[in-house]
Amino acid sequence: MSRIFSRPDFLAGARDMVPTLLGILPFGLVCGVGAQSAGASVLESIGLSALMFSGAAQILATQLLAAGAPVAVTILTCFVVGLRFLMYSAAMAPHLKALPTRWRHALAFVLTDQSFAATIRRFRESEDPRNGASYFLGTGALLWGVWQAACLAGYWAGNLIPVAWSLDFVVPLCFLALLVPTLEDHSSRIAALAAGIAVVLFDALPMRLSLTCAGLVGIAAGLIAARRRSAR
Amino acid sequence: MSSALAWWTVILAVGALNYLSRLSFIAVFARIDIPPVVARALGFVPAAMLTAIVLPSIVFVAPATLQFSYTNPKLVAALVAALVAWRTQSVVGTMVAGMITLWIAQWLLRVMH
Repeated sequence: MSRIFSRPDFLAGARDMVPTLLGILPFGLVCGVGAQSAGASVLESIGLSALMFSGAAQILATQLLAAGAPVAVTILTCFVVGLRFLMYSAAMAPHLKALPTRWRHALAFVLTDQSFAATIRRFRESEDPRNGASYFLGTGALLWGVWQAACLAGYWAGNLIPVAWSLDFVVPLCFLALLVPTLEDHSSRIAALAAGIAVVLFDALPMRLSLTCAGLVGIAAGLIAARRRSAR
Repeated sequence: MSSALAWWTVILAVGALNYLSRLSFIAVFARIDIPPVVARALGFVPAAMLTAIVLPSIVFVAPATLQFSYTNPKLVAALVAALVAWRTQSVVGTMVAGMITLWIAQWLLRVMH
């Protein structure tokens, strides 16, 4: 552990995360408010932020449970939203290959959109994977700590933020920022378009099933579009 | 199911599933043979799911009330944010641009009415 850990790289990772906190703080506050208004206890709120460590999953879990959705549907929905982690994991894997198992297991826990974006850049610049590993740990440790504080602050004092600020809008904005880069090829744009139309059409379905149905419609549309392209 | 049991079932299950998703390829970097059609389908998950998550919070101004017009501040803000996301690929930049546009659009709407 001590031979791999590099303090300067750890600190560099944490430092590079500081601008990202601008988006993380309001997002965490919103997640805390969501847990509180959904009727979670403070321990349950901490459980959400500490173990899920994913704003999207936390928001969905609280919204679905508050709406009375079945536990299985809630779990499945949160899991589907977390599927993007598979792709991050695949992209990170070659860079973490040389590390000891417990480093890989620890780093996987702090793999988030923000840490991924910062660290993959660092790995591509640095020859030695150990530098990138400590950097990754630095980004993850700062984000995890700040995330817990922001969610807890939101749980206790989030209601002090005026509703007129519409701060909850940072949540769709964050997803929008993740969505736009996925629309680089024609088939993905078709998938997104079909999913968008479907989610509006299916809006009346119970338990936010519109999400899952729209996702499936979008995937099917993307596959058809890709097949048509390759057939041409 | 009691409320506390429901919460902790969801927290532990989603926590575990999220962790397994994060760990998946990092732990098993050896090549797995996924059927090609499944691999292609997985490729469309982010575009389809993220659109499905984002769009309702932009175009619905109230439950079951769609609003596709410039008088919907969220739609205006989302369009500006999408442009910033496309040009900069920055999550923070997208959030900042979107929120500032939202506040300006809401303010303009109040002033004009």
